[in-house]
Order: sequence, then structure tokens, then C-alpha cells
Amino acid sequence: MRGIEYVKDYQEDIIETIPSTIIVVNESLKILYANRNYYLKSGMKERDVIGEKLSRVFPQILIGRTQIEEKIGDVFLTGKPFDGDQLRYPGGIFYFYKIYPLKEAEGCISKVVILLEDITELTRLEEELKDSYVKLENAFAELKENDEMKSEFILTASHELRTPLTVINGYIEMFEEGMLGGLDEIQSEKIQVMHSQTDHMIRLVEDMLDTSRLESKKFKIQRTPMRIEQIARSALEDLSRLAGLKEHTLSLKVDGELSYIEGDGRRIKQVFNNLLTNAIKYTPDKGCIEVIIKIEPGQVRVSISDNGIGIAKKDQEKIFEKFYTGSGHSLTRESGRLGLGLAIAKGIVEAHDGKLWVESEPGIGSTFFFTLPKT
Amino acid sequence: MKILVVDDAPYMIKVLKDILVACGHEVHEAVTGEEALIRYSDIKPEVVLMDILMPSMDGVSATRKILEQDPLAKIIVITAVGKTGLEKECLEAGARKFISKPFKIKELVSVINSVG
Repeated sequence: MRGIEYVKDYQEDIIETIPSTIIVVNESLKILYANRNYYLKSGMKERDVIGEKLSRVFPQILIGRTQIEEKIGDVFLTGKPFDGDQLRYPGGIFYFYKIYPLKEAEGCISKVVILLEDITELTRLEEELKDSYVKLENAFAELKENDEMKSEFILTASHELRTPLTVINGYIEMFEEGMLGGLDEIQSEKIQVMHSQTDHMIRLVEDMLDTSRLESKKFKIQRTPMRIEQIARSALEDLSRLAGLKEHTLSLKVDGELSYIEGDGRRIKQVFNNLLTNAIKYTPDKGCIEVIIKIEPGQVRVSISDNGIGIAKKDQEKIFEKFYTGSGHSLTRESGRLGLGLAIAKGIVEAHDGKLWVESEPGIGSTFFFTLPKT
Repeated sequence: MKILVVDDAPYMIKVLKDILVACGHEVHEAVTGEEALIRYSDIKPEVVLMDILMPSMDGVSATRKILEQDPLAKIIVITAVGKTGLEKECLEAGARKFISKPFKIKELVSVINSVG
């Protein structure tokens, strides 16, 4: 049994109560019925509506703009419902209307139902949404442009810094090489300080350049056959003095049969340098730092482990973001760092189609992994 | 060795000159690409140290022009521009070597000796 049997007695109430407008017209476009909602919305009286032609009751502008009369004609002709369209009522009210044929017993049609839904609020929201979307799009474009300008600025500024750094570095070296006469002990000690600080400044400038290259996708690697264990050994050698200051033990282990892999040796060494420098820095004195190179099918996996302070779970993603220096408070930041090392290392590994990630436990230590495909 | 240093930054010329003179070379200077062409034909240096970013005529164009004058010219590019592909462009233009700023004196001396 269909549920309609139960509501048979209330059908009229239902039609009169629903917040949609229902109008029934005949073939000569005269209104036979309009539900209560129609009178509420239009403010018209039943006597002015029933038996009147649609074109006399509906505002003329609406009839012209929607061509509703032709659409009703089509429904009578084809017997198929009109799927719907928007119409704008004077006073900024929007409706969505549909026209259904009322089929009679013999299948002929002598009436159609016009169903109108008030979509004013929906239209307003849609407009607002469109408006916000445009604003958002504009803001995004502006942000992108600013970001590109910033990258371009960093690139230019870094290039411009290179020349004065070369000049300063040149004279420092001339002093050190004795090309400008002999120096006493105090003078040469000060020159050494200048040397190390200039080197540091050069590294900061190079890191800034690399970051802006990585951002602007201008970062290119030059693949040549390289031996990864040699690169690791050379990076360990370079950092042995720094590790020695903290009495760390550095070690290298190779697991598997090594051969040449394709990659940018200078850049991969930079990855080792950045990861090892962090390990040395964030491990208390007399720590153990171990590099393991593992040969796997199709790739080489490198791990650099320390027994240092470790990284909290919540920070493990953030450390790869540029300018991240371990603390949100700019005044407690460790000086002399731009927070670019890990972002650059990740960028270099990804440019080689590899992956870089970390596993760490605060107080126990960290292990940084990266893979490089053998190609 | 007779060396022509081409750079639009005065202190860059000065430091290169000081280093090279201390190493026993005879150093001449030019501050633009155009001046480099004139100086090259005047003094016939054995090696040219060429900057890239310079007003009006850049170092790559100057390198090509000098090589038109003298196909055997030994030109070493020294640049602060770290653009990818620039080294290739300079070498294709005919430069013998490419040095990035900042460099070490040892590196500079060994590159000069390798072409000179």
C-alpha cells in the first residue's frame, strides 16, 4: 500500500503548508489554482488571481524575460516537464521554477503545475561565495607575485654580496699567506677570526642562494657517476675538527656491495655536511655519530644517527621547513643560523628523486635517512 | 705573465691586482667590456680574467669579441652569478675556465697557471 493513502485527507493541507509556491494553469494560460504560499509572497488576493491569465498576474517584465508562456506551451505540446530555470522577481527576489504536466486518465494534458522555489538567500550566498573566490584568487596571485619578488630579491642580494665577500676574503688570505708582510701573533689570531667569520658569511650567502633556487625551481643537479662512500668519507673528514671539539666519535659503515651511482657529488656532499653538522651540534659532548650506507635493490639508503637531544614528534615535520631554527621565539633563536640546512638537504635529495626523513626520540637521539635511486 | 683584469667593481680589480702582482704578474685593467676589447689589442695579454655582469657589454659578449680578434685568447671567467647553465654558456663562448666568486687564492693561481 502506498503511503499516500494515509495522507489522502491532508493532501490539501500539505500543499497549502509547504514553503514552495505552486500554481496550476490551463492550456489558455489561465490560473486555476495557486497555493497559500503564492498569496503570502505576492501579497495578491485570490479574487485577483484565479481565472486570470498568467500574463495579467505575473509582472510583464518577468513574462518577457523568462518566456515562461512559451515554455508552458512546450510542456503542453510535448508532455515532458520543463527542467527548470532561474527567474528574478522585481525587488531582488530569485526563484527557481519548474513546469510539470498534469496527465489525465486518457493521457491528455489540460493543466500544468508551475513550482517556484525561493532561492534568494541561496543566490545571495552564491554571489558572496563567488565574490570571496575572486578575492581569494586575487590575494593568491598577489601573494605569489610577492613571493617571486622576494625570491628574486634574495637571489640578487646574494649575488651582490659575493663580490665584496671575495674582496674581503682575498685580502684575508693575502695576510695569511704573508703576501702583505709578516704578522705578529695577535694580528694573525685576529685574521684567523676574520677568516672563519667570512667563511661563515659565505656559507650563509650560499645557503640563501640555494634556497631561492630551490623555491624558484631553478635548482639543477648535474648527474655524473659518483661513489657515495667516498663522498661520505670526505664529509666526515671535513667535519672531524668540529666533532673533535665536542669529543664525538664519528664512524662510517657500508652494508652491501657498492658501485657507482648517478648523482651530483658536490650537492650530495652538501647533504652529508648539513646532516652531520646538525648531528654534531645537537649531540652533547662525547656523543656517537654513525653513518651507515646500505645498498638496497634499486637504491642506496643512507642513515646518519646520533645519540643527541632528539626532536619532539610535533617538530619532526617543521624542521624541514626553511627558516626553522628550533624555536618559535625569535629572541631565543640560536645565532649564526638561518634554518636552511635541512630544507636544502631535502631539496637536493628530492632533486635526485630520492627521499629524506627523520626518526627521532627526544633524549635518545635522531636518525636522518635519505635514499638515492641507483638509476 | 701579462694579465688583463676586466671587472666593473673597483675593489674587485684592486684585490685581483694586489694578489696577482704579489705573485709576480704584470696586471692591466678594464672596467667595461668595450674597454676590454681596446685594451686587449693594445697590450696583448697572455690571460684575461673576465667578469660577466657588466653594464652595456656583458662578459660573454666581450669574450666572443676578443676571440674574434684573437682565436687563441686565453679567457678565464670570474663571476658572482651562480645561474645554472652560465658556466656552459661561457665555455661555449670560448672561455677556457670558469671560477665562481668567492674563490681561494690557491684556486685562482692554479687556474691561471693551467691556462697560461
